Amino acid sequence: MSTNRKLDAKIPGGPLALKWERHKMDNPLVAPGGNRRKFTVIVVGTGLAGGGAAATMGELGYNVLNFCIQDTPRRAHSVAAQGGINAAKDYQNDGDSIERLFYDTIKGGDYRSREANVYRLAELSTGIIDQCVAMGVPFAREYGGTLANRSFGGVQVSRTFYARGQTGQQLLLGVYSALSRQVQAGTVKMFPRYEMLDLVLVDGRARGIIARDLTTGEIKRYAADAVVLATGGYSPVYYLSTNAVNCNATAIWRAHRRGALFSNPCYTQIHPTAVPHMGDYQSKLSLMSESLRNDGRVWVPKKPGETRRPSDIPEAERDYYLERRYPAFGNLVPRDIAARAAKVECDAGKHAYMSPYSVYLDFGDAIQRLGRDVVADRYGNLFSMYEEIIGDNPYQVPMMIYPAPHYTMGGLWVDYNLQATIEGLFVAGEANFSDHGANRLGASALMQGLADGYFVVPRVVASYLAGAKLQAVKTDHPAFAAVENDVRGLIGRLLAIKGHRTVREIHWDLGRIMWDKVGMARDAAGLKEAIARIGELRGQFWHELALSGTDADLNKQLEQAARLADYLELGELMARDALMREESCGGHFRNEHQTPDGEAKRDDANFCFVSAWEYTGENREPVMHREHLAFENVELKTRSYK
Amino acid sequence: MSDKGMTIHLKIWRQARGAKTGKFVDYTVQNIQPAMSFLEMLDILNEDLVKKGEEAVEFDSDCREGICGTCGLVIKGTAHGPHAATTTCEVRMRGFKDGETITVEPFRAGPFPVIKDLVVDRTAFDRIQQQGGYVSANVGSAPDGNAVPVSKYYADKAMDVASCIGCGACVAACPNASASLFVSAKISQLSRLPQGGLERGRRALAMVAQMDQEGFGDCSNHGECEAVCPKEISIENIALMRREYMRGALKGD
Amino acid sequence: MASLGSIAWSSVGKKVITGITGLALFGFVCVHLLGNLTLLIGPNAFNSYAHFLETAAHGWLIYAFEVYIIAVFLFHIVSAVTVAWTDKRKARQAGYKYSRDAGGKSRKSLASRSMIYTGAILLVFIIGHIFLFKFNGGNPHTLDEHGYKDLYKVVDEVFASLGFVIFTVVSMILLGLHLRHGFWSAFQSLGWANDRYLPLLENLARVVAVVIAVGYIILPIYMHLTQPGGH
Repeated sequence: MSTNRKLDAKIPGGPLALKWERHKMDNPLVAPGGNRRKFTVIVVGTGLAGGGAAATMGELGYNVLNFCIQDTPRRAHSVAAQGGINAAKDYQNDGDSIERLFYDTIKGGDYRSREANVYRLAELSTGIIDQCVAMGVPFAREYGGTLANRSFGGVQVSRTFYARGQTGQQLLLGVYSALSRQVQAGTVKMFPRYEMLDLVLVDGRARGIIARDLTTGEIKRYAADAVVLATGGYSPVYYLSTNAVNCNATAIWRAHRRGALFSNPCYTQIHPTAVPHMGDYQSKLSLMSESLRNDGRVWVPKKPGETRRPSDIPEAERDYYLERRYPAFGNLVPRDIAARAAKVECDAGKHAYMSPYSVYLDFGDAIQRLGRDVVADRYGNLFSMYEEIIGDNPYQVPMMIYPAPHYTMGGLWVDYNLQATIEGLFVAGEANFSDHGANRLGASALMQGLADGYFVVPRVVASYLAGAKLQAVKTDHPAFAAVENDVRGLIGRLLAIKGHRTVREIHWDLGRIMWDKVGMARDAAGLKEAIARIGELRGQFWHELALSGTDADLNKQLEQAARLADYLELGELMARDALMREESCGGHFRNEHQTPDGEAKRDDANFCFVSAWEYTGENREPVMHREHLAFENVELKTRSYK
Repeated sequence: MSDKGMTIHLKIWRQARGAKTGKFVDYTVQNIQPAMSFLEMLDILNEDLVKKGEEAVEFDSDCREGICGTCGLVIKGTAHGPHAATTTCEVRMRGFKDGETITVEPFRAGPFPVIKDLVVDRTAFDRIQQQGGYVSANVGSAPDGNAVPVSKYYADKAMDVASCIGCGACVAACPNASASLFVSAKISQLSRLPQGGLERGRRALAMVAQMDQEGFGDCSNHGECEAVCPKEISIENIALMRREYMRGALKGD
Repeated sequence: MASLGSIAWSSVGKKVITGITGLALFGFVCVHLLGNLTLLIGPNAFNSYAHFLETAAHGWLIYAFEVYIIAVFLFHIVSAVTVAWTDKRKARQAGYKYSRDAGGKSRKSLASRSMIYTGAILLVFIIGHIFLFKFNGGNPHTLDEHGYKDLYKVVDEVFASLGFVIFTVVSMILLGLHLRHGFWSAFQSLGWANDRYLPLLENLARVVAVVIAVGYIILPIYMHLTQPGGH
């Protein structure tokens, strides 16, 4: 079912390059000093977007309450990003510009993102690097003392700034340090080991949250003038993903259930270079940074069913399929394309020796060309991580890799102001849908997180607070009691099931359905099957789940169970969205819609829109709304990396 | 090892929330594959326990690839297990023998109180960081990223220590339960960059004072911290921290 | 701004005090050894050297030095005991049930672990040493042929006893052990170390430990073997 409820993205008028500047001018401000202290803002999440927003709003003088499920804000999952962060600095003098970063991102996203948002992102990218340097982030440097750059997939310039293979960690620690300073200054109050379990609306506006103290199990109420969700992505809906085991959709899903529309859930990024799946005992798939494709060459044996070791396969019997199919970009094609190409080869029986679902990423040539030391300097930490997991030495035996769920482009629908369809609810970073369209380019997630956190959220939330004329709301308002009651009900329901299947077992079942039917290649029959099977699995979950312990205690199984309950609804929505989208674009590939040479075939006439799903109740079909995407500055073209 | 994988005997520290102390409880897990991670082995144990209606063993973990710093167990008497330069989540079962008995304890230190079982409270680290582990530069105030060149040597040195994941293994392994390696890593990172140099004296004095106030022990230069540090941070940084501290004390900046 | 007192008694301050006083004591140990080596030359050399020390600056030098060295000792003992005993015990009241040394890059050793114990035994040794040699076990000193205090005779009589020889040898081995960790550790505590020369300092500590211990061990053995009564 779908309707055409008007979704106003509130894109400012005027030329693209002036929209953000004009928007800043046209919107009201809150004067410094006492006025700002009167406003309380809840920020959920302490990653680049959440932590950045909390710290910056603290610097500006607002009263910020910052929540995270981790034991300290420094562990938010931004920490795990490896390769780098893009910025249109053009320090390399290779023809980069804000325009080009904007264009690359729109094209990389397969023309399914909003022009104005993407332009703002490109525009803010340069200030992010400046800010991070000022905060003491130890970016890689050249001998002359200037900042170093490298290349990432889908672009032909070097605009990626990096700190070894730990760029996300270093940027997050920068955010964490800014946050620490504000905690010390008394503007930000931290709530580590707290999980937001629901959103409280008063008069239709977001006015607070219900959170569980994960140490004691206490359910608590927090009131505010605005709520910012920056809780990251939800790839663990596939069970095995590159994400941390505690990454979850709960905060945004509960907001969705309270009325926030959910956009583009079918756009998921399957990262091409992760350590392959080895056994059912696994709890995650480890990512091998995209930067490896700067120097590594991807290949499979030409002969299907090849059993020889890679060293015994002569050069002539190797198929460097990315270089063959995409000569212009070679091994540096965007992630969606590299991932699908690996699947095509493996499906044809051509694979690395370890498993039918693995391909080689070979550094033999690079080691010959650059020497072992240079390769070790660039990728040493990744090589040792790989060796730790697989037991092979990648300096000698080519690495084996396979795509793995990594990043979710979909998320809560937001307008240009990052405001969801609930007033006063703002969504930043991976948790929203806004900037990456159907596929995110490498090194752009960190850029978006910090652009949202440092620059956009503080500005747009201020405008909201200045203009909204809010009544004071305290936690004794009846709305808090009602939502708290719902949360207690949910936890009670989970503990009362007393079944025989563990959270992990049911989560694995969901993951298998999602990977097989809503993974790298989808078709109508499979998606319909997935919808039916997820529905059944949800039924089993509520009858067969086994939990022990109590709610008034640290109980991680209970936490995971509540998150899985949300995944069991979200997974179905992802399949529905994928079924609805009768085209292939970016990370969403429908077998029915491909070109003769197996590339994604978009349908701009019928699907140049953002889907925005409305929750209508448990086990009821959701309703879809559309935001039409207007391309005024970029010509809609077939994406080609050949 | 049979085809069914290894059998592992575990002696795991169990401690109820709010209890002053706990005790070792013995468990046996079967069908353990060599490629499994140590934490995946504990996941399997927990599934067995939940199915039997017993409480799962609580332990912290998140990224499971050695970068977030959440996990931290003392495995066979060593923080993060017997291998150097790994976190607990990176420990693989291929390093253990079929039939082996493995003790598992929480990180122990007064400032790291046990919350439950193997989960400890490390917020003392946050409070130290809050005293000065930052450059006081508000968003918006930064000059161009290339305005101040930074020597590659010092940028690399800063990166060596900035890679600290705040796991607390240094404290856990230190015979004195000192936090010196952790604190020195941040002081060292920021003092080696021009951006951080402006607040170096104040930072060193304030962070050390907070470390002491939290009740961490003093450093006796045993170097156990460096040996267990998953990121191999050197104790040369502790020397540097002392230098920075004295510099701050004498210059009053 | 923190007071200088609280800075001096911070975890870093205590280590700085321990390090400075440790190096000062090491300096004393070196000078003392050089002076005592005059025992090998004979009674005249030793007694003249002692006489010089006692009468220099009208006797004030020795008093001033005694005040100085007692102060150094006290600071060394109080700061070290606080670091390695009091604070250590406070910082981890619930200890590990099972723990092993990390090995690898760790510098933890018998020497580093036993600092507080070797230090305590050395303190006992020093007190006994002063009582026996400086105060001649409470007896009045006799004079030698030049009219100097015959301290050589005192040393000779003490080391006639095999028990004292053994006690001294053992104590000096422990002094070597103490220096084996204490020497490089002092530089580390004072912030005078980095990855480039820390290994050098550690090797130097090994050399220093052996040289000082051997130097001091030679004396009682020599004195015991060269008793006037003959052996």
